[in-house]
Amino acid sequence: MPAAVSASSTAERLRPRETDPDRDNDRQLEASGISKWFGRRLVLDEVSLSVEAGEAVAIIGENGAGKSTLLRICAGLIPADRGQVRVSGRVGFCPQEPGLFDLLSADEHLALFAPALGLSRAKAIEDGHALLAEFAFPVAEYSQTRHLSGGARQKLNLALALLGGAGVLLLDEPYQGFDHGAYVSFWEHVARWKADGMGVVVVTHLLADVALVDRVVELTIPRAAAVGRS
Amino acid sequence: MKLRRILVPAQMTGRELGRRGFALGLLTALPLAFYGASSNTGSNAVITGGIAMAFSIAGASIFVALTARPVDQRLVLAGYRPYELLLGRLLLLEIFGVAVAAVFSVVMVFGTGPPHPWLLAAGVGLVALTSVPFGLAVGALSPHELEGVLVLIGVVGVQLTLQSTQPIARILPFWGAQRLLQHSVDGTVSIGAAVPSGLAYAAALFIAAAYIMHRRAPSVTFPRAR
Repeated sequence: MPAAVSASSTAERLRPRETDPDRDNDRQLEASGISKWFGRRLVLDEVSLSVEAGEAVAIIGENGAGKSTLLRICAGLIPADRGQVRVSGRVGFCPQEPGLFDLLSADEHLALFAPALGLSRAKAIEDGHALLAEFAFPVAEYSQTRHLSGGARQKLNLALALLGGAGVLLLDEPYQGFDHGAYVSFWEHVARWKADGMGVVVVTHLLADVALVDRVVELTIPRAAAVGRS
Repeated sequence: MKLRRILVPAQMTGRELGRRGFALGLLTALPLAFYGASSNTGSNAVITGGIAMAFSIAGASIFVALTARPVDQRLVLAGYRPYELLLGRLLLLEIFGVAVAAVFSVVMVFGTGPPHPWLLAAGVGLVALTSVPFGLAVGALSPHELEGVLVLIGVVGVQLTLQSTQPIARILPFWGAQRLLQHSVDGTVSIGAAVPSGLAYAAALFIAAAYIMHRRAPSVTFPRAR
């Protein structure tokens, strides 16, 4: 069961500074006072989020509450207008929309990511196959990603986020298109990643998911959004 | 910097581009159509065909840049530097451009018989060299393919309608190549500034593309969490 469910107008506030230094050292992600405007629309207002090693956090909220934006800011893909993000270790990011080349195969994607991660091509493909096989991805079949089902594309998307290991995983609705078996397998993997010491953040719309994480952070649309930027 | 971090993106760009055979065929046929349609205009056909080659190579470059944009942020987040991805694409596209330029030079040398065939080849080569960074820069700036293609049609189209002696032609990216092509058939214009102009334009466009890509890349430097 989740340890806490925040219903604040923004998000869970940072807890008071931990006094146990060992506990502090376990913090994998700390985003504090994050604000973001898109034009005149305030999307995030002083939002804070922290994730410890071996902890899974779900981010929930209505459409437009800024869940994906917060995750992209935490990944460093877009800058916050205010606030600070601190991470420990490599960030594994799985976007909501799979960022894939339509005309390349899964193996070619793994090979493309290999130099960036400091892996040999053979090692990246071997590790990638192992990750994909765990989610029942048809690794033996050659297929360009445009010919894959939505669920299979998402499995490749997730495998690319996991490839090379990560200190913190930022997963934006990572199981879209998964069948039931793959969905169950995903949460079994979350437990394993936690046991391996990773921090895991999952953006979700599914109420059932909140029972599977350690903590839930709820985002709501900031009230200032209705007024606009002054 | 490891060469592999440039060669692997180049290889994958080549595979992706190579699988778009029909589009590549159309792109290559376009300048041939321009050349064929203007072949009865004598020397002008070489200039028209040579400059129209920019449609092929810059078009392919725009396409590569726009196709890669959604993936680039993830690749940079994984560990690539933006300029490594860009250099990989530049390398692959320049190889493609030189190959198209070589074929097209042979076609025009035998089709028109210019007095300075090597200058014709140099002009076509300069079009290829400039077209790639031009396409990468337009691709980096354009929000969608339509806008990119419209910019390409606009710039190359205006260059095609101008004489190289007109002042406005000098500020366009293919002016240097236009001078070389014109001199190859009639020897009436000076070509002293042609190659430096083309190279400077190519370098400036590449720097612009690299700057835009760098701005788009994940730029947040993370201090370690406490």
